[in-house]
Amino acid sequence: MQEELRQTCRRLLTDGTVQVVIGYGQAAADDRVVPVFITRPEDADQLVWNDRCFANLAKYLLRKEVAALGRAAICVKGCDQRALLVLEQESQIDRSQLTVIGLACDGVGEPRQAKCQSCDVHTPRQADITVGQASAGNPPATADGRYAEIEAFLKKTPAERMAYWKAELSRCVKCYACRQVCPMCYCRQCIVDKNRPVVISTSATLKGNFAWQITRAFHLAGRCVGCDECTRACPAGIDLRLLNLSLAKAAEENFSFRAGMDPAADPIIGAYSQQDHEEFIR
Amino acid sequence: MSELLSGTAIRPWIERLLADGKRVAGPQRVHEDLVQYAWLTSADQLALDGFVRPSNSIKEVVFPRHEQLYGYQFKGKRIELLPAELPTKEQIVIGARPCDAAALPALDGVFNWDTQDEFYNRRRELTTVVTLACGAYDAHCFCTSVGLGPGDVRGSDALLIAVDDENYEVRCLTDKGRRLFAGVTTESSAVGRVMEGPPVQFDLDKLGAFLAGGYDNPAWQAAAMRCLGCAACAYTCPTCHCFDIVDEGGPSGGTRVRNWDACQFSMFTAHASGHNPRGNQGQRQRQRIYHKFQIYPEKFGALLCTGCGNCTRNCPAGLGVLPILKTIAPTP
Repeated sequence: MQEELRQTCRRLLTDGTVQVVIGYGQAAADDRVVPVFITRPEDADQLVWNDRCFANLAKYLLRKEVAALGRAAICVKGCDQRALLVLEQESQIDRSQLTVIGLACDGVGEPRQAKCQSCDVHTPRQADITVGQASAGNPPATADGRYAEIEAFLKKTPAERMAYWKAELSRCVKCYACRQVCPMCYCRQCIVDKNRPVVISTSATLKGNFAWQITRAFHLAGRCVGCDECTRACPAGIDLRLLNLSLAKAAEENFSFRAGMDPAADPIIGAYSQQDHEEFIR
Repeated sequence: MSELLSGTAIRPWIERLLADGKRVAGPQRVHEDLVQYAWLTSADQLALDGFVRPSNSIKEVVFPRHEQLYGYQFKGKRIELLPAELPTKEQIVIGARPCDAAALPALDGVFNWDTQDEFYNRRRELTTVVTLACGAYDAHCFCTSVGLGPGDVRGSDALLIAVDDENYEVRCLTDKGRRLFAGVTTESSAVGRVMEGPPVQFDLDKLGAFLAGGYDNPAWQAAAMRCLGCAACAYTCPTCHCFDIVDEGGPSGGTRVRNWDACQFSMFTAHASGHNPRGNQGQRQRQRIYHKFQIYPEKFGALLCTGCGNCTRNCPAGLGVLPILKTIAPTP
């Protein structure tokens, strides 16, 4: 599958379809797989595909240094592709200018990451080119499975949950790795960076950390695709996935909506209906 | 003769320090796969083995992520300043890695260069650092490439070296260290042996030559392409020390506080005019390397990097000092 990926990318670069392939490569310094930006056909052999390809590369489409490399092809897993769809729906990327290489994926991490346990997008949708085939042995995905962790968490008492979040968020140093890896965090000026006047305290105190993480979670409501990059990136090991799951669950239960799944579905934050049962909308 | 501390004596000793009202910090297992330096509330929380190094650094004991400098109150047209209280509690770091302790002399230089920072200096005076010689290293460690090693004593008040599974040799290095261990150790003939560090992974001379002429080298942008512009590297780095000063308050008054800041944020150098002298990530990564390996050394005569590898370990994109320096200044 890796060879097929390399051949595909070599061809895209050779025939001029794209000027850069955003993909995964083996780090020179250690055993990690890191994002690579391949601009020459002869470098296509640097591309790798394995279960350590954690990063959601969609974020790089929003970075000007990458955009400056020219027309791009991007390698995505099924979960990453959902981010592309949301970015397209929110007019952040021009899908017609992008070549999407879908990588069939049986999950990443050893053991598999939490998101992979309930994955129903092993084969990326709406890809221009799909490489590989997902195993038939992947466990079936259900809504129960998707939200099992948050449901278990919600069985705790409010006091227990508050104690949990206090302990976890007390470690947040506001490095904003969660924001920087998130494909949905593309505001030109993040609300925490507004300083005339300050909207959210820049202090990494418990209060400031609650303000930041709650605000961020709300901004992701109905938009977060559950790629869990924030959780992976957090140097303090805070399980931000739990916050996102709780909002994803609300979106699915109340609006039958899952971000980045259905190209025909109106985004719940970005659309309104006269039939809405809330009065304020009319 | 050497001084010996038995593994079983460590925890009761820490309990006594805590009972005496001292603040004690050390590595703690926060989650199954996460160890961080943190203030201990019980000696049982201390984790001394089974990991390479904590994912954060000990700088926070002398340079907290958030610190109140003073308060202010508006009184009509007058502003009344309310001095913040300086810390008074003695604090002890136990089980610090040599690459953490070595950062403290580097920080001393910065916080005493043009002004003497009374908050930093007070915390530093109150702090005793007990290092533990490393028992393991990983692919991200590069202390030997910056002139340090698993048993380096820079910035340390006492060094512990494992003798066997049960005992540590204690080498007291300063008066603070001797005071802390007075009456705690026993004399012995057993001596600890410090392991060898990781192989040298880049060439400092080559790096110096590259930096001298490489300011506009395209290597910076190439290396920084995968950088996402967060501060996971800087905030977990033992030596990174940039901060921002902000006012937090309302119409009647507030507090002036110092919060960590980092050069990888685009906001770090953004001017009010909208201009940004470091307009892309390549320039920001270049700044980080130049600061550590040229600007700081020129001013203070030492490197601003201890080779701990936290930048890479914590980087969501696997970047950091080592991957960059291995590219621009490879060993022969």
